[in-house]
Amino acid sequence: MRYNEKELRALSRQPAELAAELGMRGPKKGSVLKRRLLKLVANFLFYFRTDEAETAPCVLPQPVGALLLERCVVSQEEACSFSLSFVEDMDRKYVFQCDSERQCLEWTGALRRASYEVMRRSLVFYRDEILKMTGKDPLEQLGISEEARFQLSAIKA
Amino acid sequence: MKLNRKSVLSFFRGYRAQAPDQEGILLKKGTRNTSYQRRWFILRGNLLFYLEHQADHTPLGLILLENCQVEQRLGATEPYAFTILTPRADGTEGGRSYKLAAENQEELGAWLGALAGASWRQLAALLSPLEAQYRELCQAAGQEPSSPPEDFLATFTTPSSFQELHERYGKEIQALQGVQRGPQEASDSESSRSQAEGEQGLNHSVLLSDLR
Repeated sequence: MRYNEKELRALSRQPAELAAELGMRGPKKGSVLKRRLLKLVANFLFYFRTDEAETAPCVLPQPVGALLLERCVVSQEEACSFSLSFVEDMDRKYVFQCDSERQCLEWTGALRRASYEVMRRSLVFYRDEILKMTGKDPLEQLGISEEARFQLSAIKA
Repeated sequence: MKLNRKSVLSFFRGYRAQAPDQEGILLKKGTRNTSYQRRWFILRGNLLFYLEHQADHTPLGLILLENCQVEQRLGATEPYAFTILTPRADGTEGGRSYKLAAENQEELGAWLGALAGASWRQLAALLSPLEAQYRELCQAAGQEPSSPPEDFLATFTTPSSFQELHERYGKEIQALQGVQRGPQEASDSESSRSQAEGEQGLNHSVLLSDLR
């Protein structure tokens, strides 16, 4: 499956929802914990090498990798660490080590909410609640209330 | 840079049973071979997939729709032509442009509309004020605000064997996450689940071998 790496690199340079240096271990057996700069941008988690500061200023740091945060499960592992796995293969986990419990909670929350599909679901949730409470559809003013992509609630019993 | 393809393919296949945001035939101009090729395009969220055939298990390619410009191309050799201009690697304008063409005016309009609103950033911009409005309303009404579901199971809409899906993933996820869900849980349990999950078990072995 082809993709244009430049599109992803461009995204990785956008302002991040969250960015921090964390310990990261890949899902393969025997993977070691490495220090990585994690950057959450839209529904992607990018990870960079932490020694990028040493490269020449005109060289743009490139991510080592990117993970699409859809259909994923983010779980607290210990007080300061969490894991990320994808629904079809829950045994393969990316494990992250945080500096504090607070940081761990911050990341697990943000990663779960980053999914486009989860956000879409949240949008419909708030729309429905507001409609219930006020009798008005907040998306109507924007002229998008009829769009199929916001009709989740139509299926509900 | 390594893109975790499994995560992308999992997303593509997992929602297959659910209606995409837009799909259909589009003509796509090749890069080396500059003739137009017929491809099946599927837009889901901020990802635009294209396949050789509608029923293919693996897309040929993927276009990430963030910070893109979508414009109609008048005066092109093909009628109903438009371009998706993606950013350069450094984030500035002028990256790769995908030259596409719809088969008729109606399709062109539908695609231009769907692509214009596809970015994650736009969805986030829609979501924030709605969330704020909801909280304000709750505060005014003296009501405890509830939270929308955060796990992916709630994102499925097609009616299906809810029981099977919930047993398969629900408990495991809840146990792992230790997620505290408010009063919303009762109504959530009535929402539909997708057939896709049922298919995943069968497709699992195929999924691994198909990954490139």
